[in-house]
Amino acid sequence: MKNIYFVIVIVLLITYISRNVIKSRVSVKESFFWIVGSFVALILAIFPKSMDSIAGFLGIAYAPTLFLLICVLFLLFMAFRDSKRIAEQNEKIVELGQQVAYLKNEVKKWKK
Amino acid sequence: MKDNKVLFVIPTHNEEKNIKNVIRNIKKSVSYADIVVINDWSTDKTKDIVEKEDVVLLNLPFNVGYASAVQTGIKYAYEKDYDYVIQFDGDGQHIASEAEKLLNECMKSKSNIAIGSRFLVPTDYHHTFFRKVGTKLFSILIKIFCKEKITDPTSGFQCLDKNVIKKYSRMQGYPEFPDANLIIEMLLSGYKIIEVPVIMKESNTGVSMHGGIYKPFKYMVKMLYTITFILFKHSFSKKGDK
Repeated sequence: MKNIYFVIVIVLLITYISRNVIKSRVSVKESFFWIVGSFVALILAIFPKSMDSIAGFLGIAYAPTLFLLICVLFLLFMAFRDSKRIAEQNEKIVELGQQVAYLKNEVKKWKK
Repeated sequence: MKDNKVLFVIPTHNEEKNIKNVIRNIKKSVSYADIVVINDWSTDKTKDIVEKEDVVLLNLPFNVGYASAVQTGIKYAYEKDYDYVIQFDGDGQHIASEAEKLLNECMKSKSNIAIGSRFLVPTDYHHTFFRKVGTKLFSILIKIFCKEKITDPTSGFQCLDKNVIKKYSRMQGYPEFPDANLIIEMLLSGYKIIEVPVIMKESNTGVSMHGGIYKPFKYMVKMLYTITFILFKHSFSKKGDK
């Protein structure tokens, strides 16, 4: 089995992600796409011929290119998702800051 | 019963049509209890209506979602040292007089959580097809992994005792949907959960969290995924580790 190296690496990756979820370092929700992505990679590593079939079906001559394409698209999706989250969280931080400023002023008034 | 401090936690999001009646019904039926309304960034008149009532109102600065709004109320209960919390929906689905039944049973049986079940005895309540399938599936999973019969794992009508108030208020990553996953987590951690038959009304306003086909499907996938991790986590820790 030529792909045993990849299988081991992916299993280690899944273990690493799972450990982080169990130890509450990553939320279950956030880990979802990473785990799904890892399992897809695991299936492709165990059944490498499936990659040839899919590449042939999509008209891609060199199968490893398809794997790279999938990886790039997946990472782009994750990066965009994170950018969206960061933008949303920035908005929320600003809103919280404004409310803290307002509440501090109210507390000051009450102390007087 | 009246010696205990009881708090109704009502998360709301755009419930201007129901919230006034919900509050007044609680005051009429369970007059000794306090009420906290968590306004999850409503864009209608919910805030103005609640401000006129004699209840505690916590306005969230942005929309945090149902679960986080509930946890906000539970944190308030913990800070103010309440003995029992009753989770109560602001859409008029839960009936105030049924809450006392829930509270009584929770106290009498010395349970940590009492869940108001729509399916323990036959009622007129109707679920959509996908919700029926989900409810059945999660009941089976709870039976398999926790050896407990829970007929209504998606019920948000619950009574929580002081231990659970403490646990939930400190819980990191309080789940987005606190349903079967949280029940499994609590049962595996050694908490006692009972079900009490209750009557509920059909929700006729607001947008359902599980409407359509895509949302229930997404909910099921998320729930199964979360349950897998909970089981995984508990296979490494001792039972009864509260």
